[in-house]
Amino acid sequence: MKEANIKKESAETAKKCCSEDSRRKFIVVSTVTVSAACGLFPLASGITTVFDPVKKSSGKQEKIPWTKVAPLQNLSEDGKPAKFEVILEQVKDAWTTYKNVPVGAVYLARKGDEVEAFNLKCPHLGCAVDFRSKSNDYFCPCHNSTFGIDGSVSDADSPSPRGLDTMDTKVEDGDIWIRFQQFRPNIAEKIPLS
Amino acid sequence: MNRFLDWLDDRSGIRGLVKEALYEKVPGGARWRYVWGSCLTFAFFTQVVTGTLLWMSYSPSAQTAWESVYFIQYQVWGGWFLRGVHHYMAQAMIVLLVLHLMQVMIDGAYKAPRELNFWFGIALMGVTLALSLTGYLLPWDQKGFWATAVATNLIAEVPLIGPILQKIVVGGVEYGHQTITRFFALHAGILPAALIGLVVGHIYLFRKHGIHVKEPRPKRDSYFWPDQILKDGVACLAVMLAVVILTLYFKGAPLGPPADPSNEFPARPEWYFLFLFQLLKYVPAFWGAVIIPLALGLLIFIQPFLGESRKGHQFNIGFWWCLLAGAAGLTFLAFSEDQANSNHGAAVREADWQAERVVQIAQEEGIPPAGAVTLLRKDHENRGRRIFAAHCSSCHRYNGHDGRGYSVEDDPSAPELAGFASQEWLTKLLNYEHFTSLEYFGGTAFKDGTMAKKVLKKFDKEEQKLLPEVALLLSDLAELPYQEALSEEKKERLMDIFYDDLACIDCHDIDSEGEGSAPDLTGYGSRKWMIEFIINPEHERFYGKKNDRMPSFGRDKKLSAEEIEIVVDWIRLRPGG
Repeated sequence: MKEANIKKESAETAKKCCSEDSRRKFIVVSTVTVSAACGLFPLASGITTVFDPVKKSSGKQEKIPWTKVAPLQNLSEDGKPAKFEVILEQVKDAWTTYKNVPVGAVYLARKGDEVEAFNLKCPHLGCAVDFRSKSNDYFCPCHNSTFGIDGSVSDADSPSPRGLDTMDTKVEDGDIWIRFQQFRPNIAEKIPLS
Repeated sequence: MNRFLDWLDDRSGIRGLVKEALYEKVPGGARWRYVWGSCLTFAFFTQVVTGTLLWMSYSPSAQTAWESVYFIQYQVWGGWFLRGVHHYMAQAMIVLLVLHLMQVMIDGAYKAPRELNFWFGIALMGVTLALSLTGYLLPWDQKGFWATAVATNLIAEVPLIGPILQKIVVGGVEYGHQTITRFFALHAGILPAALIGLVVGHIYLFRKHGIHVKEPRPKRDSYFWPDQILKDGVACLAVMLAVVILTLYFKGAPLGPPADPSNEFPARPEWYFLFLFQLLKYVPAFWGAVIIPLALGLLIFIQPFLGESRKGHQFNIGFWWCLLAGAAGLTFLAFSEDQANSNHGAAVREADWQAERVVQIAQEEGIPPAGAVTLLRKDHENRGRRIFAAHCSSCHRYNGHDGRGYSVEDDPSAPELAGFASQEWLTKLLNYEHFTSLEYFGGTAFKDGTMAKKVLKKFDKEEQKLLPEVALLLSDLAELPYQEALSEEKKERLMDIFYDDLACIDCHDIDSEGEGSAPDLTGYGSRKWMIEFIINPEHERFYGKKNDRMPSFGRDKKLSAEEIEIVVDWIRLRPGG
């Protein structure tokens, strides 16, 4: 009889302590959840803004506008290249829209009836390339990449992984137009930056 | 994992720290009345994080502040939500501050040995209010610009050093680049640093003395973790939810038109400063800016000592209730006075219109380097309204108002011009009752002229039926952008009425050489006709010597040729009503 009572009592204590345990567990779990929600909320409410530039550039390539660079008569007929500034009609930089801004430069040369355009930037790491009229080639003064008159890498020791970057050109009413673009540096493939 | 924690604990003692932080004793058990401090900490933490994120896209200068905030609001992915959370959490912080303060006062938690911590709390309140004040200038919109100007003018009231202090804060005499850069440094650097320092002291002192228990104790003692933290967390969640709901409901924080010192704006601070704004209507600025704050500050400073006695404690609580009630009353007065003032409503609607307009132009054309304010200054629609209000509205009205939506006290003394020369406008004009009413020529000498007394009044029923036809004919001459042109056939038929049935041609010319005694209606209401009329209504083609007070705006150089074109284009833009 006595033993049975003790057994019963201990069973009751066990039950009580278990429900106490699960209650505590519930409180701890909800506290951790609620605290985590509060802790993460501020960052979560605005982290998208940090990734905005990635979102805007991903996928869609913006339409490259045609830009007038110079009259065709300014190019010598023997195909000798000359350097020209590229001035874009409109450039949008985040919240500001600029009009008529110089954005870079190109080498232009006649090639039959058409015009060939090379971006001034070396495809290696972006230094400005010089045209050397004596040796009739292009030379990068930073890391000594050498390019032939056709823009291809002309020296096996050149660090540039590809030739000079060409762009679309057209001649209309005696003026040269190009679609000015920049490309990803230091890879063999020519991939436009967007 | 355990081995790593052992290693870390051995080098840093981190377990002891965490234990001490979490196992703070809460005598009498966890209670909802203790949550406000944690809520404030959560709110401040949110402001630091969201503020830093905003900082990544914000550019403090007079030409880029509004522009970059516009960029955040309308172009950046999720930017509007981020701004909204920062904006409404700042307001939530003010509310929480009051709740925290009142709980401390009522529970007597400000008394010895906690005097020092009470002062820390009051200092924290000051810094938080300063953060709010410096914050709403940063978007550099009309509200921030005009409301903050009032606040910085009050600085000049400080004796001796006031004017110098004001120059230092503003960064010169006028608001400009230096004002924004200084306010930004205060808002994102100096004030948050001060706040963090004070919070550390506040929490240290709080821990040192422990929670001040409000008797009677409802339960047996427990610990900060997890019981009190759960209550704190749930309260923080509620704050968070409120802020998110406000942000979603109002679609983020408002952004007014760009700051423009030449574009008047009804300066009103954020709602939690409205009581100060209202107070300045009754007391001199020196009292509002210096004496009253100083006296209140002094009284608050000695409150822990006053509170030692029972009566003193009751006085303290009463004092804060009175202060709150006073602030609430003044806030209510400020709101209701504005509500009752129709011109204030018009000014707010005008600002809303400009804000919407400038965003629309910015999205279409982009913002030039000179800033978005130039978009509004050049915008013909905005200028048209303003030119009309400044030069035309003392006699004419536009839909009954001054062109911008403000009511005008005096009766009109010249015709209503909304929908000028449209068929609807002309049909009313050709009705004797309307012609002689204040809406048309009732305020002019023409009320008793030939057209009124000898023509319109004398038409019989049959002739009156033809008047809308004449109105249609004349409105066609105006070539209004919103009205369809008539076919040649129809026009010819209407011309017959003009010539034969009603014999208008006896006085008014249309496409004819003769010189009638009344205004020439060739090309009536067209852009060209209106421009020439406004240049010189006294020209023989128009009123000649019969002109009644209409100024020759062009001839007398009251308006430039460009301004006349802008206001004409604006009047012609849309129908009345």
